[in-house]
Amino acid sequence: MSINGNYFAGVDVGSLAAKSVILKDGEIFATGLVPSGVNSVESGLNALNLALESAGLKQEDLTYIVGTGYGRVSAPYANKAVTEITCHAKGANYLHPTVRTIIDMGGQDCKAIRIDQDGAVVDFAMNDKCAAGTGRFLEVMAGVFKVELKDLGAIALSATDTVPMSSTCTVFAESETISLVARGEKPENILNGIHHSIANRIAGLFSRVGIESDVFFSGGVAKNSGMKSAIEQALKVTIVKPEIDPQLIGALGAAVIARNFSKKEGLWAA
Amino acid sequence: MSVKTLDVIRKRLEERPDELRRARENGLKVVGWVGYNVPEEIIHALGFIPVRIAIGGDDRLVEIGARYASSKTCVFIREIVGAFAENQDPYIQQTDILAFDATCLQNYRAAEVIEYFFKKDVVVLAVPRNFHLDEAKEYFAHEANEFTRLLEERAGAPLDSARLAESVALYNDIRKTLKSIYTFQASKDNVISWEEVYDLIQAGDLLDKREYLSLLTQTLDELKERQHHPVIASDDGDCRIFLSGSLIPRGDRKLIGIIRSVGGRIVGDDLWSGILPHLDLDIKEISPAGVALGYLNRTPHAALPYLDLESDRRLKKLQERLSEFKAQGVIYHTLRYCDPFTFKAKETKNVLAKSGIPLLEIHTEYAGSDYEAMKTRVEAFVEMIKIKSEIAEEQGVLVDA
Repeated sequence: MSINGNYFAGVDVGSLAAKSVILKDGEIFATGLVPSGVNSVESGLNALNLALESAGLKQEDLTYIVGTGYGRVSAPYANKAVTEITCHAKGANYLHPTVRTIIDMGGQDCKAIRIDQDGAVVDFAMNDKCAAGTGRFLEVMAGVFKVELKDLGAIALSATDTVPMSSTCTVFAESETISLVARGEKPENILNGIHHSIANRIAGLFSRVGIESDVFFSGGVAKNSGMKSAIEQALKVTIVKPEIDPQLIGALGAAVIARNFSKKEGLWAA
Repeated sequence: MSVKTLDVIRKRLEERPDELRRARENGLKVVGWVGYNVPEEIIHALGFIPVRIAIGGDDRLVEIGARYASSKTCVFIREIVGAFAENQDPYIQQTDILAFDATCLQNYRAAEVIEYFFKKDVVVLAVPRNFHLDEAKEYFAHEANEFTRLLEERAGAPLDSARLAESVALYNDIRKTLKSIYTFQASKDNVISWEEVYDLIQAGDLLDKREYLSLLTQTLDELKERQHHPVIASDDGDCRIFLSGSLIPRGDRKLIGIIRSVGGRIVGDDLWSGILPHLDLDIKEISPAGVALGYLNRTPHAALPYLDLESDRRLKKLQERLSEFKAQGVIYHTLRYCDPFTFKAKETKNVLAKSGIPLLEIHTEYAGSDYEAMKTRVEAFVEMIKIKSEIAEEQGVLVDA
């Protein structure tokens, strides 16, 4: 394996997971994904080390590292920090240059991002500070039904009806859900209602920034097939299929940006 | 960036509460005012000491205020009410009379709550909703006379025309000097920052007006000595941000600090706690009605309804200022339950988008819990503008080549 300075890494430390992507010669070479702990420096390093191990590399083999996500502020291993909004834009553009709109649903926030043909952000909106419409919200709901988070989408898709969910506050939605169960509503129909309620809230975010095809769905919640379907219905769009784990898009974008920075700073010539 | 007169002003602000206390012991009265259309010259000409009550950034006071005002009242007003409830603010402690205007109805509500719960002597100036109509101007002139009469009763003497003329001249000089200083902060190789000028403007809410004018003049002289010809240019490599929306009073520096920390440079504002109230005030007649109409004819406050976007003076003023200060993006600050500005965020964004100016709305309150989320938004906005500038620069290079 030639260590010639052509390795670039992106590390995305989110509230629920830390992710890393290593690029070699412009291609995805290795990835890492671990649950986030209390210490964001440690979480980022764990994700990076996982990717390094699978690639047979050491940290010093990397030419440039970009940190992103909420943990970007404490990433001493990174050469630069860039926001996840810019990184998701670059990551989606790297995979699909025709993408113009991104829905990013992570553990603690949700973002609507519009980008141009170069993957530069044109406009964006984020949910307010409450947990409605985020991975944390779905995690709470999975807890109410005592099911695995990963199974939530499939259960929602098996629904025969949609039970409307009026609460968007996580705490109120939890009590509303318990009331609906007590009323005899089927869990899959309630879960379907929850997914549609979140999707409608996301549609509100897009009323601020607009939608243009192609549409990409990134972040941990993008793995939820029920959420994808509900968003497609609410926004009246078809979401493009990602080739890699959608949870890695932020880290991928960070790695792409690391490559660009490196070139700009004269550390690497293509 | 160290302007020596600013240190003098900071020192004078520390001494000011004690100075007010001594002035009151000598028989002078302090009028604390809150609002956008309060004609301060009238208060000054009647021999009162005017002090603007505008504080923010303290979530604890907001909670206290919510015990008296509705929790759906904007956080600024709740904090003001909370500060009156607690009575620890050195300026609130020194007020004898309060003057509120009803430009924003929440302001009016605060006057009622403060009068009812804290037994303060409150005078309210009514403000017409349809400010642009002739009938509204007639109504406001009448209300300004009534406002003056109520203050005259408290002053124990009628308003003297000559003293009003002196006050108007003094305030005009203050406004003129502030505008000159403001240009320096936005210039290339600036020696004074927008943040410093913003603090300087707010110092004028509290200091003695004659001394304030003298300190402003010294500041301007110092600036002219250090920077002969301030040039406002967009190619200085900065991410030039214009701040708009709900007021940012003294004590609230959360958003301003975030913008600076992520590499943004504020180059202008149209906040009613900033330069805006000092712009375009043309007093044509020395009388209470003349002064009040000068106030009403300025750029209108967002709380006054106006639905025709094409002729909206507020939006027109914003566009003029963006062009003058060569701003690359607008951060539109809205406070929780500050409906006038929050409701106008979308239309303002749409209007500016037509001229290629991006707008980021930051909706916040005085709690610190949204700090990181705010920082991410502002940082991404700054990144967006910087990337846009880099692309434009690269394309410019290609075109030039």
